[in-house]
Amino acid sequence: MIASLALAVSSAGCAAVRPHERQDLARRSMTADRGKGEVRSDQHRAGSREGAEGGTGEPGGGCGCN
Amino acid sequence: MRARVAGGALLAALATALVGVGSAGADGEVTARVMYYKEQATRVVQPMLDGIFDAGDRGTVDAHFLVDAITSASAATGASGVAFTEKRYEAGATYRRQLDHLRLGGTARYSTEPDYTSVYGAVDGDLELLDKNFTVSATLGVGRDTVTNAGAPPMVPRIEGHLTTLLGSLAVSQILSEHGVLGVSYDLIRLDGYQQNPYRVVAAGGTLIAERHPDLRTRHALAASVKWFFPSITTTVIGQYRFYTDTWDLHAHTPEVRVIKDVGDWITLGARYRYHHQDAASFFATIYPSSDPMVAPYVSDDPKLSAFDGHLIGGRVEIAGGAVGAGGRLEQARLELVGEYVIQHNHFGNGVVSYVALVLPFEY
Repeated sequence: MIASLALAVSSAGCAAVRPHERQDLARRSMTADRGKGEVRSDQHRAGSREGAEGGTGEPGGGCGCN
Repeated sequence: MRARVAGGALLAALATALVGVGSAGADGEVTARVMYYKEQATRVVQPMLDGIFDAGDRGTVDAHFLVDAITSASAATGASGVAFTEKRYEAGATYRRQLDHLRLGGTARYSTEPDYTSVYGAVDGDLELLDKNFTVSATLGVGRDTVTNAGAPPMVPRIEGHLTTLLGSLAVSQILSEHGVLGVSYDLIRLDGYQQNPYRVVAAGGTLIAERHPDLRTRHALAASVKWFFPSITTTVIGQYRFYTDTWDLHAHTPEVRVIKDVGDWITLGARYRYHHQDAASFFATIYPSSDPMVAPYVSDDPKLSAFDGHLIGGRVEIAGGAVGAGGRLEQARLELVGEYVIQHNHFGNGVVSYVALVLPFEY
């Protein structure tokens, strides 16, 4: 599946960006524009007020605020 | 007490890790942050500490500890509306190690409050392909929660329930150009066990009865994001969208946009807008005609399971030490101020969120 994904992406016309061309991609606004603690609190707040969770790679919850 | 022990153990583990792996020139960053949340009937103050440290040449340790101080006469606790104050303690740590094109990690998290305890563990991996233009990430996690009604009056029969959570997550990211990245992720979460609130009641058959939720819930969340930096205006725009569905027939759409503007070298301004729309769970109702489990096996008027939409509008300012002439490592230290207004078209009502954070990089 991973090979298929890689093949699909490489054939989709995405130009390879070399390491020395990635200085803008390495900016904090592009990698982590919000702190981990802020994101964690935001997900926790949303999870205790909304019926939907996920999309973050973590299950949320872990508290009695259900 | 258990939380204090857990926090102490975490800090001890961190100290041990630092002593064990410490080498000149390693980097770290510590963040002290306080979150404040206030809505109609609930107030939360959450101080937290986050730290990330190099651990050897190829590893990092990422750890946090927080306290939730919650005061509520809350819809979340049901029709009784009884005010309560309680604290929740959480500690967690992740270790990740880089192995050529593969990065492997493990996470542990523990949370405790008087009537709820949660333990969670996960392993994850990132595989970099196509000269690091394409990354595949996978996470597998398992959690075990114990819930009680320890906060109920003494004459109320004791309840204890358990909930097992399984998570599988797959994500890919692709560099689109020198200025843009695309990300797509899918999370599959299965919850098995006690999922109702042990205090919440619902009107059914002319009386108030304890809510009843199904024991099983399978959640699917498909999310996509695009991040793009515009050099001419030193601004990054991030667009995200998540579609959510689950076996309780709740569906949700959640788009979000963030704009981050660098003002010179030391000041960053940001704006955020998030919209959330969801349907109700299939068994949700504010009043049930019968309390008979044969007629209505599941009953709940939990506002989270109702149909509603909401908006979040926020702004942020970040000021680095260089803006006030600080030198050395303090040049990169920063103060973060965030304010957000949450509009919730449900029983919870509108709320405000604010964060104040001080971020200190260091070398050891």
